[in-house]
Amino acid sequence: MASQRYNQAPNGAYVSSTRPRPASTRPKYKDPARSQPDPAELKKQQEARRTALARKRAKEQFRLLTPEAPEGRKHKDVQTELYLEELSDYPEDASVGCQTDAFLDRPATPLFIPAKSGKDVATQIEEGELFDFDTEVQPVLEVLIGKTVEQALLEVLEEEELASLRAQQRAFQELRNAEIVEVQRLEEQERRHREEKVRRLKQQREVLENERVIAEKIAARGFAQQYLADLLPSVYNTLRDQGYFYDPVQRDIETGFLPWLMAEVDSALEKQETALTMFDTLIYDVANSRQKT
Amino acid sequence: MAGSRISEQLPPLIDRNQSPLAFGQRALPRLAAELQNPELTVRQGALAALRDLIHDPERAYETIYHGCLERLKVLLKDEDSSIRTATTEVLYLLTAHSVGREAILREDVVGCLSELLDEPVDACRRNTHLVLKMMSGFPAGVACMVSLGLVPRLVMKVAAETEDIRELVLSTLGSCMRVDTQAAQAALASDVVTVLREQLTHSSTNIRREATAAMIAISVPPQGKVKVCEEEVLPVLVQLLSDEDLEIKANAAGTIMNTAVITKGKFQSLQAGALAPLLHLVECEHRAVCANALRALTCLAEVPRAREQLLQHLPLLQTRLNHPEPIIQRASATAIQVISWTP
Repeated sequence: MASQRYNQAPNGAYVSSTRPRPASTRPKYKDPARSQPDPAELKKQQEARRTALARKRAKEQFRLLTPEAPEGRKHKDVQTELYLEELSDYPEDASVGCQTDAFLDRPATPLFIPAKSGKDVATQIEEGELFDFDTEVQPVLEVLIGKTVEQALLEVLEEEELASLRAQQRAFQELRNAEIVEVQRLEEQERRHREEKVRRLKQQREVLENERVIAEKIAARGFAQQYLADLLPSVYNTLRDQGYFYDPVQRDIETGFLPWLMAEVDSALEKQETALTMFDTLIYDVANSRQKT
Repeated sequence: MAGSRISEQLPPLIDRNQSPLAFGQRALPRLAAELQNPELTVRQGALAALRDLIHDPERAYETIYHGCLERLKVLLKDEDSSIRTATTEVLYLLTAHSVGREAILREDVVGCLSELLDEPVDACRRNTHLVLKMMSGFPAGVACMVSLGLVPRLVMKVAAETEDIRELVLSTLGSCMRVDTQAAQAALASDVVTVLREQLTHSSTNIRREATAAMIAISVPPQGKVKVCEEEVLPVLVQLLSDEDLEIKANAAGTIMNTAVITKGKFQSLQAGALAPLLHLVECEHRAVCANALRALTCLAEVPRAREQLLQHLPLLQTRLNHPEPIIQRASATAIQVISWTP
């Protein structure tokens, strides 16, 4: 580009500018293989084409200029000149050939060396005069390599940091696992022991309970036995006392015979009694009556 | 010819895709403004520039100060997938700094990120999971993730994702469960143990490592232990004890040691034949492997039958008493104490 201002390229880069320079006047390069003719030649060709076209058109026009013959008349060609002339479209032409001589080898034109004029001045840059490559390249290399190495170092540092963090984490994890397992194992052990203790205690208590119950049972049994030991004789005694065991003959005598006997005796006595009473009354009456008289 | 002094700065236009940085303090406000530009190329350029800047903690702080996170949140929902990928990458680089993490929690970016979990573009999903993984490293982040209900979704994603993303998801889950018990509860509710068990037998070492790490974390709470016993993970773990990778061995031993705390776990481990491999692992030089194996043996030694067998191997454990690491010394001392205990 010939001139640039401070502007922003589409990707946002700030590009530098150059001093304005006039456009160069050197002719444009043309590829001989595919060249188009010069614009002047082009124009000439176009002109030629146009004139040919115009001529053709004019000819046609000229042909139609004479009007058609009216009715009853006819056009006829008439010669008005003295001598016969053959009119034709095509002019007379004669072919003539000509040929140039074959090309002769021509010696090359001698180099044109113009006469020397003016003063000759030469300049030559020796090695080491413009700049010393080795010293100049050093800062560039330093920056390049320094930056690359710095970047690489940063990346490696980052990775190392992460790796050491991981290692630390892992060590901590192992320790943590250890402690957790220990704690859990001891907890579990404690729990088991406690449960075992509780179970044993319960068992013990049950055994004691059983023993106590059995002792009570034994005591009760002994007591009952003892209590009931003289139950039978006492029962028998009581029954006998209450008269449940009896001699049937005796009972019969007691219940049947003796009451009857007593009743008979009683009646007999009663009879006697009544008799005596009657005698008493009789005697009283007699005595009374005797007295009265 | 240019001036003879060579600038210390890098040339301004190294990467054509990055938008050029303004000088000094104007750099970030301009980038923030460019992020809102409706032109796609401008936004892409701004994101590329931001991505390179954010490595520096000062710049990260400035970014947050100038409110770029709001713009980034908007960009997360952008239609163009390259913008979304670049935004998630920027967020991942931000989480490397603590100011970034705090800011992400404050501005509730995790919620917007959770919508990207179903993203079709792989790179974007990968970056999202990277961010979540970083956020799950500390308690506040995990609390945020649990409150958004991300833990069950992550559990479901484990089976569905491609390999390298699956690693990230597993490691995120592991950290969540390790840090916060609520996360562990939420994960247990979504059958995480079953999912993890399938991953334990995966061919890729990384996936197995992450799965076993998550297993350790899940076997710490008591319900987790019960679940591990129920799902019969212990035989698989015993197999993993003979795996080549040291970390996998350590994690498998650790899970066994956690599960063997409950009685059922003890019996299942013994049934699966865990004693012999564990004894073999005690001789290993790696700290975690040795320590976990010792503690697992300690837990298993509370079963009388195992104690008998282990009494024969007491000399081996006694050699470990003189190890320079205090953890291993303590662990071996406890182990010997438990094994030699008589009722």
